[in-house]
Amino acid sequence: MNQILTIFIIGFIALIGNWIGYKVPFMESLPGILLLAVITLIGMGFTRILPFKSPVIVWISLFAMLATSPFFPGNEYTAAAIAKINLLALATPILAYAGLSLGKDVHLFKQLSWRIVVVSLVVFTGTFLFATLFAEIVFKLQGKFL
Amino acid sequence: MAEGRVNEYKLHFIVLVLVALTEFIGTKKISIGIGVIALFPMLYALVLGGAISWPKFKFLSEKEMNVAANILGVSFLIFIAKLGANIGPELPKLLGSGVSLIVQEMGHIVGTIAFGLPVALWLGLKREAIGATYSLDREPNLAIIVEKFGANSAEARGALGVYICGTLFGAIYMSILASILGSSGLFHPISLAMGAAVGSGSMMAAATGSLAVIFPEAQKDIAFYSGAANLMMSIVGTYVCIFFSLPVTQKLYAWLEPIIGRKGASSAAEGGRKSA
Repeated sequence: MNQILTIFIIGFIALIGNWIGYKVPFMESLPGILLLAVITLIGMGFTRILPFKSPVIVWISLFAMLATSPFFPGNEYTAAAIAKINLLALATPILAYAGLSLGKDVHLFKQLSWRIVVVSLVVFTGTFLFATLFAEIVFKLQGKFL
Repeated sequence: MAEGRVNEYKLHFIVLVLVALTEFIGTKKISIGIGVIALFPMLYALVLGGAISWPKFKFLSEKEMNVAANILGVSFLIFIAKLGANIGPELPKLLGSGVSLIVQEMGHIVGTIAFGLPVALWLGLKREAIGATYSLDREPNLAIIVEKFGANSAEARGALGVYICGTLFGAIYMSILASILGSSGLFHPISLAMGAAVGSGSMMAAATGSLAVIFPEAQKDIAFYSGAANLMMSIVGTYVCIFFSLPVTQKLYAWLEPIIGRKGASSAAEGGRKSA
């Protein structure tokens, strides 16, 4: 119950952000946000009733893809409504919550050696850079996106 | 659980104010010598949120911060739904980029090890290096390490260290990295979008956000390909970590440590050595 409410509250916050930051009128982004909330909830519910453990992200992605794919009823409306919600308007609340959670790790951080901090940065760089590089090489080989 | 209940509305209200304020300020691009640094609402929100939660101010309790971390996870799910909805209308395009999706995923998997392990050993880390570099060390990866080596092992200490750094400045760092790589002109926005799907909610949101600001005309493609890459990561990620990344990192450690490693640089590693 609590999580359902949380989803709608976050949706409301994203709506405000979409309105202020990307000039989409409140009522115009309402259907898109509601659809996103419903898809998210279906994905969460589905993960819960499955007899085995699985990542919720997978199911939400799949349901969102399905609902907007050409063979699903009403897909054009769904896709158009969700397209009105700017990706960045959904990302800002994520990082705002992330910010509010930062303080809990500050005292742990103070105990870390500088070496692990350097290693962290290298690890972050490695995963981003290598994936980008590998994708770029495949695209070059395939002659795509040149 | 019942005592000291956390008032979630306090958190939501702060986030609402942060979102309204930072979206109002909007995007600013600052040109520095080597490229363009994009400053945008989500970064302000992260920094301001971080300031609010700074322990010295005692404005938020540790419990409230933990709840904020949980809500962060939930808010990422809506972001995921948005990315998925971007892919649906163009499903065939997804199948057409299957090869690059698989190959880039390998990049994500080996990138942390290939880059991180040699540096960690060179800096003198011992078995901490295994936990620190075998993955990006988010929650599921931490669980894998703790299950295998125990919570007090050197491996777990390494993983936890990277985890803490990731929570604290992973998002900021990723957005700077995305800005630099994006404006370097070396890579196509689509390759970068795939690279941005690193497997952490806040880091991915920050990296894709930066890319969307730097390449506004490619915003749809960025959402499409980072969404696809993230889906890939979430399907194979955990299994690859258990059956590939971790054993490979251990093998590489055994091979490289005598070559690159320093003697006695990391005293904290001794306990881990005995238990291994």
